[in-house]
Amino acid sequence: MNVFYLEYLKLKKKTRHWIGPIIVFILIMIAYPLTVEFLEKDLEKGFYSLLWISILLSMMLATEDIFLEDYNDGTLEQTIISISSFPFLIAKKIFIYWFMIGIPISLFSFLFSLGITKNLNISLLVFPFAMICSYIFLNLFVFGSALSLNKGSVLGAIITMPLALPVLIVLGKGVIAIQFGINYLELLLLLLGSLSIIITSVPFIVSYIIKAHLE
Amino acid sequence: MYKYIFYFSLFIYIFSLVWGVLFTQEDFVQGNSFRIIYLHVPASFLSQSIYAAMAISSVIYLIWRVKLSAYLILAMAPIGALVTFLALFSGSVWGIPTWGTWWQWDARITSTLILFIMYLGLISLHNSFSNHEKADKLLSWLVIVGFVNIPIIKKSVDWWSTLHQSASITLTDKPTIDPSMLYPLIGSIIGFFGIVICLIIISSKVQIFKREKTKSWIKDYV
Amino acid sequence: MFDFPFKSIEEALYMNGHGIYVWSVVLVVTFCLIYAFAYYKIKLKKFKKKFNEPN
Repeated sequence: MNVFYLEYLKLKKKTRHWIGPIIVFILIMIAYPLTVEFLEKDLEKGFYSLLWISILLSMMLATEDIFLEDYNDGTLEQTIISISSFPFLIAKKIFIYWFMIGIPISLFSFLFSLGITKNLNISLLVFPFAMICSYIFLNLFVFGSALSLNKGSVLGAIITMPLALPVLIVLGKGVIAIQFGINYLELLLLLLGSLSIIITSVPFIVSYIIKAHLE
Repeated sequence: MYKYIFYFSLFIYIFSLVWGVLFTQEDFVQGNSFRIIYLHVPASFLSQSIYAAMAISSVIYLIWRVKLSAYLILAMAPIGALVTFLALFSGSVWGIPTWGTWWQWDARITSTLILFIMYLGLISLHNSFSNHEKADKLLSWLVIVGFVNIPIIKKSVDWWSTLHQSASITLTDKPTIDPSMLYPLIGSIIGFFGIVICLIIISSKVQIFKREKTKSWIKDYV
Repeated sequence: MFDFPFKSIEEALYMNGHGIYVWSVVLVVTFCLIYAFAYYKIKLKKFKKKFNEPN
């Protein structure tokens, strides 16, 4: 619990790091109607595609320098030596990021979905998709930012984006399934299954990668 | 030794291509454009196989720290990118007369494009580090994680209904292609496979020379 | 199994309008393979030359 709280406080203190991605997400969602002629049908057409891509971009921004500060001031090195379960620390760090950034963005996704489609049922079903996909994206981008630790976020994005694209395909299928009321639960379970594999493996991989950086 | 593999593969490849492109009957549905199969299938088959080989090399490198396997990953990445590009290009050209479009956002084609971007990502990741050993380790991890993408590519055509036809040759089922078209296809796959292996051997040599240039044994070898 | 289905060489090149697709792919694949071999061969030669040069 202490580590959880510590990580929470660390992130809370760095306001720009957690508010920034949320604001960027909101700005993209607000900017979207301005680019479309104000016909509700046109707005609905591309809304969900934009929603998933905005979540993807926000998560990329959120993890941009997740380890960089700790790496530069030596905290990361010290943590590896002092804490025996470094992967768990990473898992907790990712969870805090999801709690502080992923969940608010999912809530905003629900609100924007409701605002644009005016359909409560669809928006309610979109919410768990947003929750799960934000956690998946967060994990993937943490992996990317660990690989490109001090080489800039662009490299991390280049190498991680391709891994996230299949998730986008499933999300696209998910929205169609929700709209037609067919097998969306299967797709949700598929994402949940992917998430469970990702959240158990990514912290271990990331810890090995960070150790390789520090060797 | 590899010269023998090269000449043998080149002979098989050219023989199968000439056989397939000029000496097989026109396809009932696709017409003569089906002949691209003899160039497209070997490339798309190898684009995935090279990545699988890279993943095996990565595991070997991470577990046993065998330097050669790290060099092999580096040697294979650009060749994998080239082969994937050929698969995408031949597929696109094939799509024009068959589907009426050179590109379709279909799962299998998109996955191959993702694979191509991944190859480019691997190359750029390694190039951005001056410390080769660190870069090798990071690259190996990325290859292993990216390997998750391979079954998605393989299965995507079955998961999602797409324009892309299902695989003509599988390990478990009887081929859905006529024997007169199948034999040159198998020949072209074997020939292309041999040629690409030779390319990887030369590229590995370049990597070894690059990385071991300060060692005395290199001078003795040359 | 080895029947030549075309009446002439021109027809084999034209392939009922599909020749442009088939032959362009053949050309690009051949070019890429030759280029790749030449690229690595030249690099290898350069390395060997460098090593053989007296310091």
